Amino acid sequence: MSAKPRSFSLEVADGVATAYLDRAAACNRISEALAADVRDAFDELDHHDGVRVVILTGMGEAFCVGADLPADEPDLPRAAGRVRVSGCIAACRKPVIAALNGSAMDQGLEIALACDIRLASENARLGLTQIRSGLLPWDGGTQRLPRLIGQGRAMEMILTARTVDAREAKEMGMVDGVVPPQDVLKEARKLAETIAAHAPIAAGYAKEAVRTGRDLPLDQGLRLEADLNVLLQSTADRAEGVRSFLEKRPPVYRGR
Amino acid sequence: MTVPDSRNTISYSKEGPVARVVLDRPDVINAYDTRMRDELYQVMQSVGDDPDVRVAVLSGAGEKGFCAGADLTEFGTAPSQTIARRTRWARDVWGLFLSLEKPLVAALHGWVIGSGVEMACLCDVRIASEDAVFRMPEVALGMLPAAGGAQTLERAIGADRALELLLTGRTMDAAEAVRIGLVHRVVQRGSLRAQADRVAAGLADRDPRALAAVKTAVRRGPDMPLHRGLELEERLLAALKR
Repeated sequence: MSAKPRSFSLEVADGVATAYLDRAAACNRISEALAADVRDAFDELDHHDGVRVVILTGMGEAFCVGADLPADEPDLPRAAGRVRVSGCIAACRKPVIAALNGSAMDQGLEIALACDIRLASENARLGLTQIRSGLLPWDGGTQRLPRLIGQGRAMEMILTARTVDAREAKEMGMVDGVVPPQDVLKEARKLAETIAAHAPIAAGYAKEAVRTGRDLPLDQGLRLEADLNVLLQSTADRAEGVRSFLEKRPPVYRGR
Repeated sequence: MTVPDSRNTISYSKEGPVARVVLDRPDVINAYDTRMRDELYQVMQSVGDDPDVRVAVLSGAGEKGFCAGADLTEFGTAPSQTIARRTRWARDVWGLFLSLEKPLVAALHGWVIGSGVEMACLCDVRIASEDAVFRMPEVALGMLPAAGGAQTLERAIGADRALELLLTGRTMDAAEAVRIGLVHRVVQRGSLRAQADRVAAGLADRDPRALAAVKTAVRRGPDMPLHRGLELEERLLAALKR
């Protein structure tokens, strides 16, 4: 993780990785290079033993206002949709927090939707406006937004291209918290530290059970949950969790 | 008619068509242990089988809360993981809750922790008193919800909110719980029982066949593609008209 690509940067401290979309001059628009960096980074973070929680945020004023669409691109509709990144974020087994330091538009919002918890700056705007260019959301937006806020509200936002401010996004359940701009990263870190203090295997399994279970019939989801529970019984962390509770002291988890 | 019972961890009684199921270990805030599992299994079977019962109200005894979660003093006592897995399905109390066609009302007060939240999520109508506090502590303890919570909580409040509660282990008050749909109504502590009884009485007045049909349609429908769900609805309606 020493090499720092230009459009993307990463810090790891105390079990928390902070990943920055780092093209502030372009409002962190997703270029092919940036997309490739994000994919590589998340692949690595997923396997990095020192990382328990990932924060994804943007440098500068915006989180990410969409895809890079060069002015000289002659064939806009075909060019768009080539670079998807939400899949590799959603595939990360560790909890991922989106710290929306500013606006998350189009692909920027789709990326945020692939994260598990979203905190937004009070001046952030959010929306999927691709329909204005004769396009659809292409990085998971048509699937993840209705699952998050309900079909009617998602349909309204996607069809009208209406954007919402952070407060309305919170009312809809699109973001989980709204904070002053200067506190976004600080609050995300607090949240990440809370999660990082918990047993990492259990946190990963909780994510798997909830996310995978969502797409299974309930009885199959319950089987998955029960099997993951039994698997957890073989971990040292689970024994430590129970022991620390009974001994009335804070647990020390090692991810084993 | 009231039928008292001699069980230790669950008290069960009937008043007309309403069954009362009370988690009854108030000295440990009704912590759920294997004995409670076995007794709850028997009692919920009676709820399903007893033709006089049309609706059940689930509540917790004592002042402190509905349920403080699983009894951790029992953890780690399973002889092996393979036996733990087999036992989970040998007496599938949560599957039994889900299979009941009669409506279940949860009356929640004070601490509603871990399996307490999960039991509530297996009920159809959830009423909480203002002092109720909700929390999912499993991940903080190195484990997962084991009473269906990773599945039912997601279906009640959405995957992202469920995950946020599970990952952070934070507490949630009754006002937030009603705002996000984890509970359906918040009432004063003193009127919790009366309000739950009113809801139960209202349900008991309805046609039980219609209640069973709508419960099946709404619970099973979301697990199907839309066209299958619509077929199910049509079949259930046709059966009702017969």
